[in-house]
This record gives sequence, C-alpha cells and structure tokens, in this order.
Amino acid sequence: MNLFYTATDHFVLSPAIQLAFWGCAILLLDTWLIPDPRKRRWLVPIFVLPAIVLTAIALGKQHAYLVSEGAREISAFNGALTVDGFALFFNWVFLISTLIVSIVSYRYLEIEGEHHGEYYGLILLANCGMFFLATGTDLVTLFVGLELMALCFYVMVGFLRGERRSNEAALKYLILGAFSSALLVYGFSLFYGMAGATKLSVIVKAMQGRDPWDPVLFLAMATTSVGLLFKISAAPFHMWAPDAYEGAPTTTTAYLSVASKAASIAFLLRIFLGPLDVARPAWEPLLAGVAILTMTVGNFAAITQTNVKRLLAYSSISHAGYMLLGLIAGNDTGLKGIAVYVLVYTFMNLGAFLVVIALRRQNIIGEDVADLAGLAKRHPGYALLMLVFLLSLAGIPPTAGFLGKYYIFLSLVETGHYVLAVIGTLYVAVAIYYYFRIVRSMYLDEAAADTAPLASTVGLRFAVGVSGLLTLCIGIYPEPFLRLAHTSLLK
Amino acid sequence: MQGVPLSWYLILSAILFALGVAGFLFRRSIITVFMSIELMLNAVNLSFVAFSYQFKQVDGHLFTFFVMVVAAAEAAVGLAIILTVFRNRATLNIDEINSLKY
Amino acid sequence: MSFLGWFLLTPLAAFLLLLLLPREQEKTIRVAALALSLAIFGLSLGLLAGEPRETDLAWIPELNIRYHVAVDGLSIWLILLTTLLTPISILISWKYIDRRVKEFHAFLLLLEFGVLGVFAAMDLFLFYVYWEVGLVPMYFLIGIWGHDRRIYAAVKFFLYTMAASVLMLASIIYVYQRAGTFDYPAILAMLASGKLTFTSLEQTLLFLAFFVAFAVKVPLFPLHTWLPDAHVEAPTAGSVMLASVLLKLGTYGILRFCLPMFPTAARENAGWIAVLAIVGIVYGALVAMVQPNVKKLVAYSSVSHLGFVILGIFSFNQQGFDGAVYQMLNHGVSTGALFMLVGYLYERRHSLEIQDYGGVSTPAPWLSTVFLITTLASIGLPTLNNFVGEFLVLQGAAQADFRWAVFAATGVILSACYMLWMYQRTFYGETPEKVTHQMTDLNGREWAAILPLLALMVWMGTAAETFLPRISAANRLILQQTTVNVPFNVQTPAPRPDVAAKEIADAR
Repeated sequence: MNLFYTATDHFVLSPAIQLAFWGCAILLLDTWLIPDPRKRRWLVPIFVLPAIVLTAIALGKQHAYLVSEGAREISAFNGALTVDGFALFFNWVFLISTLIVSIVSYRYLEIEGEHHGEYYGLILLANCGMFFLATGTDLVTLFVGLELMALCFYVMVGFLRGERRSNEAALKYLILGAFSSALLVYGFSLFYGMAGATKLSVIVKAMQGRDPWDPVLFLAMATTSVGLLFKISAAPFHMWAPDAYEGAPTTTTAYLSVASKAASIAFLLRIFLGPLDVARPAWEPLLAGVAILTMTVGNFAAITQTNVKRLLAYSSISHAGYMLLGLIAGNDTGLKGIAVYVLVYTFMNLGAFLVVIALRRQNIIGEDVADLAGLAKRHPGYALLMLVFLLSLAGIPPTAGFLGKYYIFLSLVETGHYVLAVIGTLYVAVAIYYYFRIVRSMYLDEAAADTAPLASTVGLRFAVGVSGLLTLCIGIYPEPFLRLAHTSLLK
Repeated sequence: MQGVPLSWYLILSAILFALGVAGFLFRRSIITVFMSIELMLNAVNLSFVAFSYQFKQVDGHLFTFFVMVVAAAEAAVGLAIILTVFRNRATLNIDEINSLKY
Repeated sequence: MSFLGWFLLTPLAAFLLLLLLPREQEKTIRVAALALSLAIFGLSLGLLAGEPRETDLAWIPELNIRYHVAVDGLSIWLILLTTLLTPISILISWKYIDRRVKEFHAFLLLLEFGVLGVFAAMDLFLFYVYWEVGLVPMYFLIGIWGHDRRIYAAVKFFLYTMAASVLMLASIIYVYQRAGTFDYPAILAMLASGKLTFTSLEQTLLFLAFFVAFAVKVPLFPLHTWLPDAHVEAPTAGSVMLASVLLKLGTYGILRFCLPMFPTAARENAGWIAVLAIVGIVYGALVAMVQPNVKKLVAYSSVSHLGFVILGIFSFNQQGFDGAVYQMLNHGVSTGALFMLVGYLYERRHSLEIQDYGGVSTPAPWLSTVFLITTLASIGLPTLNNFVGEFLVLQGAAQADFRWAVFAATGVILSACYMLWMYQRTFYGETPEKVTHQMTDLNGREWAAILPLLALMVWMGTAAETFLPRISAANRLILQQTTVNVPFNVQTPAPRPDVAAKEIADAR
C-alpha cells in the first residue's frame, strides 16, 4: 500500500515495459544512433523480434503464475492494473497480430517507398497501449492506454505522406477519434463524480443499487458508449472506418482492423460489464438497436464496394455488430463467444488483408476487386487461402468464422433474444453476396493480360499460411481453442 | 464563506463541452475544429477538478494531468497531420478534403 | 471408429490426394480420380452387408457436438446412388472438361464428401456443417466450367440455398437449447418420452424454418426458380450431380428431420404443402412442354417429378413414404441418365436447342435406343423404375385425399407428352440444314457410363424387392415417429427381410 513500486507491480507491468522500451529504442535507433541509411533499413526492424520474444516470455510468466497459484488475478498498482484470464487472452491476441504485421511490413513499406524504422516503433508502442487497455482496471489507465494506442494509429494511418488518401484518412480518423475520446473522458468524469474514485472496482460498488434510468448515469453511459462504439466502428459512429481502412497503408489497415478492434472490445467489455452493469436494462435495448444498425450498414454498404480494402472495412463493421450481439446476450456463452469471435476474427481478417498486401507490387496497387481477377490461375495457393479466409468471414462451416458466429447465435438463443438471432443469421446470407464477389473474381474471372507476378517474401507466405491453417483448424477441431477462450471468462 | 456550489462547475463544464461539440460539428477550418476538441477536453478537466475538490481527493487532479498530457500529444500529432494535408492540398477547409468517397 | 466412419472420410482423402497431383498431368488426374471414386463405390457396397454401421465420437465436447453418423434404409441407397454417380460423372467429363482438370475433379470429390456426410449425419450440428460443405464445390462447378450465364446461375444457386439454410441454423440452435443435445436419436427419444415438448407455436415456426431450407433444395414450387438456370448453365457432370444427388438432400432432410421432430406441425401443414407439390407437378410439366432448350426441359421435368416425392411424403402413410423414397432413387437414376445423354448430344453438336437436332436416330441408332429407354423410364412406363415409385406415391396420395391422386396423375400424362414430343423432335424427323457436326454413335466410354444406369432402370423397375424392404423398414419407423403420442423404439435396426417383404407384399 505504501511502497512506491513493488515486485508485483513490476511483474504485472513487465510486458508493457518490454514493449515501451523496445519501441522507444527503435525510435532512437532510427533517428540518431545509426547514421547509415542502408544499414538502417534492415537493422532497425530486427529489433522488433527481441521485443516480441521478451514480451511473450513476460506474458508466459504471468500465465504460469496464475496457473500455479490457482489465482484468478494479479492486481497491481493498488488495483489500477489487473492481470486475469481476460487480460492474458487479449494480450496474446495483440502480440500475435503485432508479430504478423511486423513480419509483412518490411516489403510492403519498401514498395510504398516509406520504409522508416519508426513504423515498427509505433507498432510496438501501439501494442503497449493495447496492453493497458486489456489489463487496465482504472479509468486513468484505460484512458491513457486508449490514447497511446490511438495516437500511434493516427500516425501509422497517415504514414504514406505523399499520398492524398493516406493524409485524408489520417485526418478523418484523428478528428473523429479525438472527438470520441473527449466524449469518453466526459463520461469518465461523470463516473468519477458518482463514485468518488477512478478504480473500476470501487466504481462498481458505488453503482450498486442505482436506478438504471438515473439521468446522470444515463448521461455517463451515453457519452462513454459513444467513445467506445466509435473505437469498434459500430454504426452510427462508423464513418471513419472505410476511409481510414482504405487510405492507410494496408499493413496498418490489417493491424487496425484486428488489434485495435480487439483492444476496443476488451475496453468495451471492461466498462459495460463493470460500472455499467447495473444499467443493463437501459443499455441493452439501445445496444441491440446499435448492433442491428451496425450489421445493416456494414452488410449493405459492402455490397456496392469495388475496393477490397473498403469492402473489408465494411465487413469489419458488420463483424463488430456480431461481437456486440454477444455482449447483449451477456451470459457466459455470450462472453465466451466474444472471446472466440475475437480470436477467429484476428486470424481470418489478418489473413484476408495479408493477401491484399501480397498483391501490392511495383506500379500496381492491387486493391480493386478486379485486380484479383484470375488469381486462382496465377497463384492458386494465395487464391485458396483467400477463399478460406472469405468463407470464414462469411461464416460457412467448417471454418473458424462459423464457430465464432455459432457461439454468438447460441448465446442469443440461450438468453431468449430470438429476433436478434434470426436477424444475425439472415445477415450471414447477405454477407455471402459480397464475399463471393471476391471469390468470383479470383476463380471465375479471367486475369488481365499483362499482370506482374506477386513478389511474396518468405515472411508473407509464412504469415498467410499460418493464418489460413489456423482458420481451418479452429473450424475443424476447435476444442483446444475453445478451452483457451473458456479460461478467459470474466468474473 | 459559502464557496461556489458544485453544480455550477458542472453546468459550466457541460456548457463548455456543448460549445466544443457545436464547434466541432459546424466549423469548417481544421484548426478551428481542433480548437473545439481542445475545448471539450478542457471542459472535462474542469469537471474532474470540481469533483476532485468536492471529494477532497487528488485522483481527479491526477486525471486532469493525464488528460492535459494526452491533449498535448494529440495536438502535436494532429497538427503534424494537418501540416501534411496542407502540403498536399493547400486548403484547410474540411469540406474540400473529400477524395475518399462513400 | 467403425467402417462407416472411415468410409465417410474416404472422399476427403481422395480430394486431398488429388490436390497433391501436379496440374499438368491431366490424364493421370482423370485416371486417379476415376480409380479413387470407383474404389469408394466398392467400399460403399460393403455398407450393404451387415453391421456395424454407426460411429459416435466426441468432436467438440465443449459444445456437446459429436461426430455421430449412421445409416439406415432411408440413407443407404442414397449413399450408394451418390457413390455410383461420382465415377460416372468423371467418365462423362473425360473429353468434356479440358481446362483446370485438377480443380474439377477435386471439387467433384469434395462435393461427394459433403453429400455423403449429409446422408449419414445423426448430429444436428454435423448435419448443418455437411449441408454447407456441399454448397461451395457446386458453386465452383457451375461457375467455372459452365456455359454463358454460369456466374449468374452459380450465384443464384448459392445465395438462394444459403439464405434458406441459415434459418435452419437458427432453428437447430433453438432445438439444441431446448433439448440440451445435438444428438438426433437422443432428441427423438426425448420427444417420445415426453421429456421434450414443443409448443404449437414453436413447432410451427421450427417446422417452417427447417422446411423452407429443405424446400428450396427439393425444389418445391415456388422456390424452384434457381433450378432451371443452374441446370442449363452447369457442365454435364455438374447437372448430373445436381439432379441426381443434390436435389435428394432436400427430400431426405424433410423425411429424416422435419417429420419426426415436428409431427404435429407437419401434419397440420400437409394440406397446403401437398397442394404446392401438385402445382409443381403440373406447372413443371406444362412449362417443360414449351421449352426450346432441352436441358431446361429436363430441369422442369425434375421439378415435376420431385413434386411426386413431396406428395408422397405428405400423404403420411407407408405407401406414400415408400413411393417417395423410391422415387427419389428413380429420379436420380433416370434424370441423371437424361442429363448424361443430353451431354452426349451436346458434345457432338455443341448446342442445347432442340431445333438444332432432328433425325439423330439415323446416324446414331444406339444412342437413340438408349435415349428412348431413358425417356420411357422417366415417363413411368411399367417394368422401368419410375413406374413403381409413381404408383406407390399415387396409391399413398389417394389414401390421403383422392383428389390429390387425380391431379397428380395428370402429371404422369403430361410428362409423357413433353418427353415423347422432345424425343420425336430430336431423334426423328428431318435433320436441319445448317447442321455441320457429324453425329457419331456411342463410343465405349459413353457406353460404360450409361450402362449401369440403364441396368438400374430395368432392375429397379422389375425387381424392386431388392431395394424396397430396407426402405420400408426405415419408413415404418419414421411413420411411427410422426404418429403423435405413440411410444416407439428409437434404434435404427437392420431390416428383417422376411417381415419387410411381407409388408411390401401387403402394400401392393
């Protein structure tokens, strides 16, 4: 209580320390310490690997500690940070996404001509921010984590300085993001005012017995929700997503769509299942409406898209709607469903974007659905993997995506939300239409006459292969992954 | 001596916040939009400090520090992005920055 | 894992084996695919002999999902039909498919894997997974190797079927949540013992959800609009598999799942469903008569014939069920043969329009003979297979409501009209002047492909006792399950030939 920095604090904080340290180290190396630009090119990215390895070791130690002690959680900094199953699960998801995105960024940024080492530093620092979002149990930690992640992403989205689309994407994302953060913090101030503390556990206690329709609580809920829903790109706060996804460099888009969404979902769950739990009768119908609107907007807007990145952006929006459905269900299956969904969504969405990354080569941007034409003949491996990812995104068995959706539907039926379940299943059919537009382009259309071959690196092939394999495996034999999600259940 | 009631601070904070939101929604220059966001964050700061004084705690003040730091960082990043946009387009009018279509 | 469990995985193994072959060696791929599918057919014959025929393994214990597969009289013949038609499809595509050969055969085997799984699955979740697995290869088969409007047809087929089956997913989850298990025999036992009851509203909604999903596959009027496009645009092998095998998934599903789980709702709705079936019979026949495209004609004749199957099912008596299942097999054989023969014609003259043919019987007498036999079988000539099925269906329908039998019988007459007229225009009469391609007679490979089906047509028409007993035994069970408030035994036993034959004799 009185010690400034205990061993437990250090233990809990160690992954963040690793990430922050190596992130800053890369920034320093890139800016000052290595004068020779040619050496910088390959030397700086290498430092990502020790970062990831050491962070993984730190996470592993935390996991081992939890298992060996049989404890549910490790609390640090007077309850500001808590490592429990939930936090560990999400941290692993973030770390894996970081690894995969870092591997494929090298070649992609080379082609774009913006290969700067700070990109890797930003990735690590964003991951650090996400760590705080997953383990934070205090309003301050959560806010700082959110902003750290968001700021890194603002820069990463605008990384292609010469491209108008990238600038504009960064600007829109920044402005809307700052706006929603401000709303979020206003909500936090109201929570603080109602509870007298910023620690989530204290706030939860203070909220007990409050009327769900209490105006101050309602205002707090409304403003906080806007901020949270914005981050997961739920309608009607989704407007930034298509532009940001399209304009950003595709590696950032991949990272944004997967890791940022997972972190935001973790944040959302901490708040909605913590302080706002007492207001469930108030927010459940509202969130149901938001979820339906999100799925509607996401699915129907995707139908008309010709740009693959934008199409995947709208599909991400609809997936966010599905995750919200799990929250609305709110029982154990629902939460487990969200965890499973986040896990499978990571792999399948990353995989889809990785294939788009592979298509980027000299003078060809490769973002249009038409650019994928005839991919099955030119590169059957990539086409097959993309098919697997698209089937998974659509939710067709026996892929992982189907399992995620199945869990969500199961939780909805278990809690009696039949209408939502039916709507959710019907949108699966709608989604198939636009996913299969891409499949059609790859398999059924003829390739354009003179297309350059894909220059795929070992890293890219490894990353895509692993993602594809996991997407299929989780679908066919999901037992180990389901048990993994089971252990991440919240209290 | 009575002191200013808490509700006045909160009302002021709400008004400032609303002004910020209005500025965000209706102004056309990016810099002004940014200023509105800063205004919103400062309104929140006011709210935190008021609550903190009410509870005789230090937590609210701490949160204010963090919000200020974040606002500063955001301003730095934001202005850098605005600069890049400006260099590529020579305009600061939000309505004209719309090459990313629906 | 029992023989059945291993057997069901063999098409998947064949699919993976084919993927390993290099894509340039087309001959090797074809031969390998043919050999593998013939081996699978041989293995499937082993299913006819003795036990054990059930596999029940844990698949996803966390979710109560098991890999539970079993066969009974209802599914055994459908499985054999599938495994027979796959090598036949490969044979008829020998010259027809000349590009992307490896993918074609791979998709064909994947399709077989999915379909066999659907017929054998005894766990609702597993059933749904296999159901969806069968959709994707068909989409590619139509979309890549089809004719001009193939993409439109493929997308329509896929979306139509998918949209209908997602509702089935929601219903399956609901049933799971009420029953606590996905295991189908367990659910039936719970329904019988009264541990699980559905309210009237639940029954109706669940029945409709399942039924619509199956009805699109059947296809039942008015959900049939995807079928003509899919058939016309598909390559010959695709049409054969679609008509003979995929269409049976719908009716199988109705018999296996819809009726036993929701008997009250099924009986209540039988009226309008039977009417739709009859409308389908007559409408399909009438539209078939005016078709200039021979494949579309056969497609509409499928709609018409499968109306008989639905009619038989919803008559709710033993003859109706027997006739329906037998008609499923008959339709598979005779319509599959029809599509094959149309494919032969197409390979010769590269046209599907009837007006481009005429007088084919002169240069190709054997082809015309075979076509005639198939046509007569399709019409329902006694001693050929469709007669037995149609007769049983009409008998069953008459017992339920005599007017149904009267209207349905007009379908028999109409089918004779359009089929014979088509035959006459194609094979007799004058050869049109603009014909450039020579009409050759059947060669060895084509004989090898059509002979098994011809033999089956005759065998199934004259010696139905080989097939019917098993079917009847299974149907008796299903009929019991649809009779409300009658306790029964849930196991799916091997039929006792003497008892079953007596039943058939009684029925006749």
